[in-house]
Amino acid sequence: MKRIHKESLKEALKAWEEKYRVIAPRLTERDERIFDTFDEAWFTLDYAKPSLPLKHALFPQSEAVFQVDQGIYRSIIREEPALLFGIRSCDLKGMLQSLSFMSKDFDDRFYTLRAKNTAAIVMACPGQQSPTCFCTTTRSGPWADGGFDLQLYENGDSFLVEIGSSRGEDLASSELFEDASDPAAREKVTSFRRRAAQSIPLVPEIEQAMEKLRTTGAPDELWERFGMKCITCGGCSFVCPTCTCFNVSDRVLTEGSGERMRSWDACLYAGFTKEASGHNPRHSQALRIKRRHEHKLLYHGDRDTHGGLCTCVGCGRCSDYCPVHIGALEVARDMSAKIF
Amino acid sequence: MARIPTICPFCGCGCNFYLVTEQNRVVGVEPSPGNPVNKGMLCAKGWNSYEFIHSPKRLNTPLVRKDGALVPSTWDEALGLVASRLRKIQSESGSRSLGFLASAKVSNEENYLFMKMARAVFKTNNVDHCARL
Amino acid sequence: MTNSINEIDDAELFLVTGSNTTEQHPLIGTRVINAVERGAKLILIDPRRIPLATYAHVHLRHNIGTDVAVLNGLMNIIIEEGLYDKEYVETRTEGFEGLKKTVSRYTPRVVEQISGIDARDLALAAREYAKTGKSMILYAMGITQHTTGTDNVKTCANLAMLTGHVGKPSTGVNPLRGQNNVQGACDMGGLPVVYTAYQKVGDAPVKSRFEEAWGVGGLDEAPGLTITTMMEAADRGDLKALYVMGENPLLSDPDVKHIERALSNLDFLVVQDIFLSETARLADVVLPAACFAEKTGTYTNTERRVQLARKAVEPPGSARADWEIIQEVCSRAGYPMHYADPSEIMAEINRVTPSYAGITYDRLERSYGLSWPCPNEEHPGTAYLHKDRFTKGLGSFLPRDFKPLAEPPDTEYDFILTTGRIYFQYHTGTMSRQVDILEREASEPLIEINPEDARRLGIKNRELVEISSRRGVLRVRAEITDRVPRKVVFSTFHFHEAPVNILTNPAHDPVSGIPEYKGCAVRLRRCA
Repeated sequence: MKRIHKESLKEALKAWEEKYRVIAPRLTERDERIFDTFDEAWFTLDYAKPSLPLKHALFPQSEAVFQVDQGIYRSIIREEPALLFGIRSCDLKGMLQSLSFMSKDFDDRFYTLRAKNTAAIVMACPGQQSPTCFCTTTRSGPWADGGFDLQLYENGDSFLVEIGSSRGEDLASSELFEDASDPAAREKVTSFRRRAAQSIPLVPEIEQAMEKLRTTGAPDELWERFGMKCITCGGCSFVCPTCTCFNVSDRVLTEGSGERMRSWDACLYAGFTKEASGHNPRHSQALRIKRRHEHKLLYHGDRDTHGGLCTCVGCGRCSDYCPVHIGALEVARDMSAKIF
Repeated sequence: MARIPTICPFCGCGCNFYLVTEQNRVVGVEPSPGNPVNKGMLCAKGWNSYEFIHSPKRLNTPLVRKDGALVPSTWDEALGLVASRLRKIQSESGSRSLGFLASAKVSNEENYLFMKMARAVFKTNNVDHCARL
Repeated sequence: MTNSINEIDDAELFLVTGSNTTEQHPLIGTRVINAVERGAKLILIDPRRIPLATYAHVHLRHNIGTDVAVLNGLMNIIIEEGLYDKEYVETRTEGFEGLKKTVSRYTPRVVEQISGIDARDLALAAREYAKTGKSMILYAMGITQHTTGTDNVKTCANLAMLTGHVGKPSTGVNPLRGQNNVQGACDMGGLPVVYTAYQKVGDAPVKSRFEEAWGVGGLDEAPGLTITTMMEAADRGDLKALYVMGENPLLSDPDVKHIERALSNLDFLVVQDIFLSETARLADVVLPAACFAEKTGTYTNTERRVQLARKAVEPPGSARADWEIIQEVCSRAGYPMHYADPSEIMAEINRVTPSYAGITYDRLERSYGLSWPCPNEEHPGTAYLHKDRFTKGLGSFLPRDFKPLAEPPDTEYDFILTTGRIYFQYHTGTMSRQVDILEREASEPLIEINPEDARRLGIKNRELVEISSRRGVLRVRAEITDRVPRKVVFSTFHFHEAPVNILTNPAHDPVSGIPEYKGCAVRLRRCA
């Protein structure tokens, strides 16, 4: 355990910048909080939960994966070292789950190499960051229990720093970090965690919904009601820390040259499952919504959830940003209200 | 990587988002969570709006019709041709023989300037746009 | 919009007409759904069973083009049953007696004959709209794209004023503007009769103000030509040159064969665009422009909110921002322009545009935009219009009588074609069709046909259908659906493979110049 004064944090970030591309929370001219390339003048610690998870650091919304020029193939893998400062535990859990998925069966090098070269500094949540947070239910927060390089716990005018890896050891090796291996510091972390966990209410409907899906399933009427309302924006997938589906498209750049793009896709779009014959196994929006929620709450048996309850990490963004309130929370509550 | 605030080009709602850029290339969008119009949400067009920006089909050089076909040209030639032909037609057939179609897709500043061009420079009120469509 | 988007959240009733809101203004449509789920009522007046219909308490599926009759019918019941806002009518409006006289002719029986709307449904809608405190009218091009578009709009305004549903929060008459900057293009004087902020070209003091501001003499006082009349003039040979910026009339305008002939007849056609559109292919000079991501500028959304968009990346090749191109053309034509960046243009707009006077870049950079009127730099902007008085004092009732479609169906052309947009595409598709996912979701033009009509004509789902009007013929695949009523077919203008505007009628509203895209006579048959 180490300690760093809040005042020294910018110094540490600047030092890390020499080796890493640092992504950190910042203010905007309009007083929004977003994550972007570290900028000392706009850096802030006053942020809750960014509207997008940091999955884009490993899996950008679109990227060229290879180019072909006059018959010569060139794969494009970006692996420059990056450092994510201030990531929340729910988002880290999402990344860990995605990394397992992206390296199982087939090694998706575009993802895994980037993941390997990306350092994660988690900011443990002192409490619920928004009314939709339910990480205590999904066992993915409010602090990370592994997979990070450093984890910061706010403690008055300083942060206690938990070291999670040898890269973390290195990141916290400068004189800005004081030793804090005393029992009092350990006790501070324990009480921080206890307070934080207590402030995020458990949502029993999530486990009830999982049980329901495992046994009888939810009635069709429920999915049809949600399906009717859905406007097919795809936002639930785009804001989800564990959604990694992508579309592949080729484009011709000039005569004899072209590139293959991959870009975020969403299972709520009809074309996502449409087959070449025109047949669509998930032919209605109701079925597509059903499948999406089954993927989050039911089909995780063969996935490494890194200690999480399921492949939903309880960040609540699908509830925050669905224009018609079809998030995991609403679906689970609806399911359990009808049944239990 | 940088995030630049913009307004969705796809309808009159005026949703706010950031364009996520990487080395002069837009790689995605991030909805603005704090604005009062879309509050961090987007529709399918908004979420996917970044893609056409770098379409290889974008026009990247002026074209001038020569011997019946449009061929690549220079700005100097194209702009000179536009100014001189419009002036010539204006002097031969009058200002009202010129027409200008402004655009419901470009900015206010550009529409203002376009309207000013029609009225102040070429002295015609024949200026309209596709508001009706 | 007279009111603002956020006010939708507090409305108690919506009258949505001629707007497929969830598909065309999705982030407004979803607010309507959410409000209905919280207890607000929804009256829908639309011939098609659009997605919002599921949430409607009353869905009036009127015959196409009978909007004035339906709206007058609502007012007839409201006056007849004494449900109108007498105080509001007395203190805020004029011309009530004239309105009363006109709408008295639109009894429920008469309206039923014209529009096909059941008298009981009409009465239910009238009572709910009038009695509810915060009733908001939302409309779009289903109202305006008619030869009676102006009448339709005025009749909506009559209804709102009659019931006192205007000039208050969460009420009003709220047109939803289709393209990202239609509102701004109008505000900036991209219209043949006005300078910025609707200052009339025929108004002598206005003219001299602009002559002074621009340092020129001899500005034309006579109204110019609308896009539709420009095409007619080009066809006749009176219009000799056309400069088109960021539009594609060859797909978007009615009767495209006529447009093609008109454009080909020009001596000189300039097209400034980001793609080589169908129109650009006919041009003498094509100027490559920067797209929204490649330039800084402001856009005015449907609620009059002026918002700033920043340049994120460089344009491709040697493409330039539209303002830079225009500046160069003007300079070369002997009127030098020296704007260093768009903020300098906005500073000039501030000086000549009373409603934009307080909308500066300095303020926009630090805010989420300002809604006009915003007359000075201290003014916070205006969420809703007509609060204590109308622009000209009292609000005038402008009663209108029903007029039928310019081209009603007959025995030869027995169907009505109505056109619109679909969710995954935008306008003539120049941008949206370059987006792989959008193109995947909707890559093909379809024509919606009612199942009964399809059965009668022997047309199966996805079969090719030949559809013809007095202006042209088109082949397109059928989508058999009860979204459309019998004897009505629906298609879109997004696809160059099947340009539906080959069929549409260029007959237009005499005031607004808007063509009747929402109804022309066609016939269909199964392709052999």
